Parts: sequence; structure tokens; C-alpha cells
Amino acid sequence: MTDSGNFHIPNDRYYDPVNHLWARVDSATGRIVVGLDALGLSALGDLVYVTLQPVGTPVRRGEPVGTLEAAKMTGDLIAPVSGILIGRNELVLRDPSLVNRDPYEGGWIASIDPTSWPKESAELIAGDAIPGWVKAEVERYQAQGWI
Amino acid sequence: MKGSVGWRLVTDDGVSASWGLAVDDALARRVGTGGSQTTLRLYTYRSHCALVGRFQRVEHEIHMDYCQEHGIAMNRRPTGGGAILMGEDQLGVALAVPDGSGDPCGGARAWMKKFSAGLVAALRDLGLGAEFRRKNDIEVSGRKIAGLGVCRVPTGGLLFHASLLVDLDVPLMLRVLNTPFEKIRDKEIAWVAARTTTVRRELGKEISLDEVRREVAAGYSAVFNVGLQASDFTPEESQAIAQMERDKYLARDWVFQTTDVNDAAGAAKVKTPAGLLDLKVTLAGRRLKAVLIAGDFFAPEVGIAALEAALRWHSSAPEQVVATLQEIYAAHPGLSEAVPLAGLAEAIELAVQSAALVKSGMPGEPYGCFVVPESAHG
Repeated sequence: MTDSGNFHIPNDRYYDPVNHLWARVDSATGRIVVGLDALGLSALGDLVYVTLQPVGTPVRRGEPVGTLEAAKMTGDLIAPVSGILIGRNELVLRDPSLVNRDPYEGGWIASIDPTSWPKESAELIAGDAIPGWVKAEVERYQAQGWI
Repeated sequence: MKGSVGWRLVTDDGVSASWGLAVDDALARRVGTGGSQTTLRLYTYRSHCALVGRFQRVEHEIHMDYCQEHGIAMNRRPTGGGAILMGEDQLGVALAVPDGSGDPCGGARAWMKKFSAGLVAALRDLGLGAEFRRKNDIEVSGRKIAGLGVCRVPTGGLLFHASLLVDLDVPLMLRVLNTPFEKIRDKEIAWVAARTTTVRRELGKEISLDEVRREVAAGYSAVFNVGLQASDFTPEESQAIAQMERDKYLARDWVFQTTDVNDAAGAAKVKTPAGLLDLKVTLAGRRLKAVLIAGDFFAPEVGIAALEAALRWHSSAPEQVVATLQEIYAAHPGLSEAVPLAGLAEAIELAVQSAALVKSGMPGEPYGCFVVPESAHG
């Protein structure tokens, strides 16, 4: 776990540095479980609405897999990896505040059957790179006045 | 206009709901790709249309029968927030800019404050004490005068939306937007007037929408230090707008879409030493959309309005509700005697616990500025 200020960033997963999404490999299935990290959530604010494409939809890294609204701001939820959308957290779709309350476990958003994980995982932040990235992001967010 | 870096200024009036929204959406997408210049659009809709927020349910927010009978168009904004009534006396502000940060998690409140600064400056130049406050609104004397929203479009553009109340037909709004008021009497109108205001009301005189529009343009030019060049749409933009209107804003799938987040409403009555609290709430999922505080207590209206405003789009978690109540009570010392904080917190918690799902025709949050839930329990 990397702690920077009030932000807890688990070290057991990968992070999309642009979109502040985490991606964790489910060792039992090989699927990639996706959620939003605490720093991104802190800047976004409390989620009010989340929508996702239907299960079975092909998704591409960097392209929308759903939409969200927080604090009267709307935008896309961007897929951190390519593959097939295989799971949606229906609890989150009904109660998006679950993402804010429990971002790394119960507040997971989607799961994806990856098609390019070896290549795309290399584009994500992981392992020893996490603390430095978190520190820099916290400083950047503070400079922007987002947190 | 001053400034060295140019923005484009587009002004148009009497536009249809579908076309007006398509323009903003299409321009934001084109600005995101660099295909269009940063654009400030100051416009009005044809009287009248009702626009819900990005994820709201039309049937829960708008009196659809009334709108259909009276030719009032209904549509869905790409930006968030509550349902609004737009027409010739409400100035639409749309600012389409490239997102320099490239960060989808960029703080909503920071964007909203930044992009609304031109509007705040304009209102202050008119002599009004406008402030960016609370739930991303612009207020004058504690009353909402403009609602704000932001949308990040897939191409990397940002669309900032504001609706500025130059004037407002409150009785019409109460007929169009879903409220619990069975009759529209002076009492209900006064209730709205305590929570919203307009440019004309604050100035105490007539002012044309064009004059307000000029002030708003000047406000943006000054705050962002840019020159504004008035121009129309290019042929490519017109084509993109037409396609956007046809594919999205004229499509029932867009206008009448739903989400998995259920709307719910609840109510509670709690006796306090100061009197009976009669509290009603509406929720989107576990989020408070609106709270209505009534009862036989005597409290300053401005304090009650401040409480209701602070609890809009607020977490329903008791500890977060109490923290917000404490902030508002600290700013309004007279409140604690009139409405004991503990009693209010208890009433809110009980109302949330009692909340039942809304089936249809239940009220939401008209204008995102006043609170009109009705009991789900009859």
C-alpha cells in the first residue's frame, strides 16, 4: 500500500496513469477487474451515476466503456485495457457511492477478458513505480486545485 | 474586446431544444480535436423547453403531459445537474474549450469555478453580489441565479454549461417541472422566490437579455483575457451539428434513457423542543437529491434555504449529513434555537430510511435549486 496524504493506493495492482483507473488480475479467471483509484475519486467527488456498456461488448484501451457523473460533471469511463466486457458490478450501477466508499474491493466497476494484457500492462503503472507516480500525481492535483 | 488570444463568440436566439443542445455537443467535440476554435456561445431557447440533467429520468422530473399539451419540448443535456426550464428569458451559456489537462478526473468543482468566473464577473459588473458557491451554483444574496454543469466529451473537449436566470416565470416552471404543489399559490411562489432569484429582480428594473448577454461576453473576455470574435458556424460545423441533432438529440433513446440508479422518496416527522419537524427527501440511489424542511417552528427562511441547498446532491450517510449541518449552523447562529441540529439530523436519517422507490411522476430537483419532494407514503 502506498499512502500519500489521505490517499491509499494498493501496490497489488496496475494503474492507468491518465485515467486513474486500477486494473487487477483475477488469478482464478485471468480476467482484469477494473475500478477507480482513491486519488481520482477525490478529485472527481462523489459519484452519482455510473453506466456501462452491456456485457459482451468489445472494449479498447483508451476508449469509453461507460459514463459517469460526479458533482454535476459528466464524462466517459475509459477502458484501461482492451478485451471483452465480461462483468459489471450491478451494485455499483445501482449505488455508485459504493465506489467512493470502497474503491478497491466492493466498489470495483467492471471486469474485462483481456486480449492484449502482456502489451498493455506494460503501459500501466505497477510495482516499484507506484510510490513515485502517486507522489507526483498528488502534487499535480494539488497544483491544479483539484484536491 | 481585449486580449491577444481569440475565442469565437456565437450568439443565437429562439433555438429548438434538440438543435441548441446539438450545437454545444458538436462544437465541444470539434474543439477537442482541434477542428473548431474555442467558442463561447450565448443563446436562448425558443420559449419554452424543459431540459433534464445527463442521467435524470424525464418522467420523474418533468410533467410530460403538460409539456405535450403546451408544445414544450423535452430533452436531455450532456451535462449533469437537475431539470431546468429554458426560454427567451434564460440566457444559455456554453463554453467549448480543449481540455489542456487531459485528465478525466480533473476536479469538477475547480472546472466549474474557473469557467463560471466570466459569468460571476458579468453579474458583479451589473452591480450584483454574485458568488460561486456550494453545489457548483452561482448565487446572489444566498439565492441561486445560475446553474452550472460540465461535460468532458470523448474527443478531449470540455463543455461548460450555465443557465442564467434573467427572468423566470415561476408559475410556469412549477407546472412544467415536477413538484408536489397541487396548486400554485402565492405561498408556493414565495417559497421558490426565497431560493432563486433573477437578474431583473435583483436589479429592480427591466434589463434586456441582449444587455445581459453583452455583459456576460465582456465578463468572459476580461476574466480570460481573450478577444471575442463574433462569427457563425462553418459549413463543416453545420454538418456536424445537423448530424448530432439527428443521431442524438432527436432520438428517443437519448431523451428517454434511464439508468440503474433508482429514484426514491421518503418522509419523517420528529418532535423537537422547538416544534415539529416535517421533513421530506428525494434520493438518487443513496444520494440526497433534495431535502424539504418544513414544520411549525419559527426559523429564518434564509437559514432553512441554506440547509436545503447544502443538502442537495449530498451523501445520505448520517455522519456526512451531520458534518454539513454543523457547517451551516455555524454560519447561521439563529438556526440552532429554531431547528435543533440533532432533531434535524434524526429526521433526515429517518426520512432516508423510509424512502421508497419512485415509480413515476415523482418530483426531482427542478432548477437544481429548490427542493420539492413529496412523501412516498401519501
